[in-house]
Amino acid sequence: MLIVDQVSKVYRLKKRVGLLRSEWQDVPAVNKLSFQIEPGKIVGLLGINGAGKTTTIKMCSTLLEPSGGSISVNGLDVVKQDRQVKSLVNMIAGGERMLYWRLTGRENLVYFGHLYGLSSSLLAERIPQLLKEVGIEEAADTPVERYSKGMKQRLQIARGLINDPKYIFLDEPTLGLDVAIAKHLRKYVKELVQAKGKAVLLTSHYIQEVEELCDDIYVIDKGRLIAHGTPERLTKSLFKESTLRVTLPQISESLAEGLRELMQSHVFSWEVQEAAEEGCELIIRSEADVTSPILALISSNKLPVLKLTSEHPNLEDAIVYLAEGRSA
Amino acid sequence: MEWISLLWSEIKKEHRNTFHSNLVYFSLLIWPAIAFITAYYSFLPFQRGADSPLARFINPDHLVLFLLTGYLGYIFFWCLVQSAWQMSFERQAGTMEMIFLSPVNRLAFVYGRSFSALAEGVWLFFTFAVLAALMVNGIQINTWWSVPLALLVLLVSAVVWGGFLTAAFLFSRDAGFLYTILDEPMLIFAGVKVPPLALPVWAKMISLCFPLTYTLNILRKLLMEKAALLEVAPQLGILSAVLLLLILLTAVILVLAEKHMKQTGNMVLY
Repeated sequence: MLIVDQVSKVYRLKKRVGLLRSEWQDVPAVNKLSFQIEPGKIVGLLGINGAGKTTTIKMCSTLLEPSGGSISVNGLDVVKQDRQVKSLVNMIAGGERMLYWRLTGRENLVYFGHLYGLSSSLLAERIPQLLKEVGIEEAADTPVERYSKGMKQRLQIARGLINDPKYIFLDEPTLGLDVAIAKHLRKYVKELVQAKGKAVLLTSHYIQEVEELCDDIYVIDKGRLIAHGTPERLTKSLFKESTLRVTLPQISESLAEGLRELMQSHVFSWEVQEAAEEGCELIIRSEADVTSPILALISSNKLPVLKLTSEHPNLEDAIVYLAEGRSA
Repeated sequence: MEWISLLWSEIKKEHRNTFHSNLVYFSLLIWPAIAFITAYYSFLPFQRGADSPLARFINPDHLVLFLLTGYLGYIFFWCLVQSAWQMSFERQAGTMEMIFLSPVNRLAFVYGRSFSALAEGVWLFFTFAVLAALMVNGIQINTWWSVPLALLVLLVSAVVWGGFLTAAFLFSRDAGFLYTILDEPMLIFAGVKVPPLALPVWAKMISLCFPLTYTLNILRKLLMEKAALLEVAPQLGILSAVLLLLILLTAVILVLAEKHMKQTGNMVLY
């Protein structure tokens, strides 16, 4: 298990205060953050830019040292036993860097494999398999500089799996990829977790991706944990009500009376707004689904429904709400 | 075994990544050859007889061989200044972060990198220097093993120097100033063109800072002065001490540089 316990990171930055003078400034990036990842689970780390997601991932992967708190991977401390931890983890970041462009995909994997002390015979077996799994086996012997963005990202994933890590840190893995490739990568990550029991820590700006993949989500802002839960629980804890919008030619007095009567048996609130095109819009907010009784009431009043929409708040709304709420 | 596969992998990577074109090899032959020829012709207009100031330090008849050995040693060391400097490209490409993400033995990595840069960077000029040395016919050796010993001394010194520089370049993205500090002064003070003995005292002190000074001294004693092993033993002892110190410094710098990178996050700054 990966355990992040009360971890903080403060960067010391030099700030120029004159032509020749500069002074040190402490910039906190992560503040007493705690979370856990179990094998076979995908945990999402969400937050707006500068929230401390990448810093957290780099601390977990031993690339950065925490200023306070501790991180352990299978009981090994990431600072004191970093070499052992490095064999258990790997990181995959979005973008086109972190590869040798003049080398072929296969040569890149051989090189990075040797950095992990893997034998040539093991690599000869593992590399074709990885290339096949990420779908670039046909371009294995093509220089990376000729790869498309999606192919480079697939190679990044193969590189990140070269040491068969138990814990994979994905930092914006689908950044800038087109929909089909991103979907394929999401499917592959899911398979890795389900079939091979890998543990994944994911950061992404694509909320849908996080919603689809993650079992558990930690929302951080300015390095602090501000919310935690499953995607569903997180959304429901912030937004209890759904909204039903019905566009009608008019709101008759009998319909208004019917709504008032219905409020005695169902819990909801309602208001009427001028519709943009024609008629008016009846807006109903409720925790439980009241679509059926409302539609039955409209029907009994012989009013035609011009438009009907049902809005359920999603994770994106929750993140925006949290971010705006804290900055307000 | 890990060292061998890493070394081989590093050589292949360097070959594909840095020495990707025949023009690169051509440049690695042509500019040292031009530098050597320029140095030789700079001496020609001056008095080179037995009573010349030059004759107090070297046999004027061996000037060509003196310069050839000097440039050969310089190219070995220069290649590694270049290789260390190119760590900044690894920083830019983000591959440095991936190297430090792995559990690879850091010393194995820096020496593997140095050795591969050396193997790729010097072979053409080395061939040129050997052929030229045979043509000028001034080599004087005590026994056959003086030649492999001289080459071994040159190779080991250069790789250790390269490892030290690579570690130093890890410390900061602004380590490029080392390139300026080490390149031209090494050429002037380490005895490449002018024997260190001919330099004033302050310059002699600077020359002691460059391992190339000790290496060239042994190289010339073995190849030009017919020195036996016992005769070069004191110089070999001093060079070994210098190299040992460099290895220790490299190990310490590597630990400090990685710790610094982990604390500041400067591994991704470029």
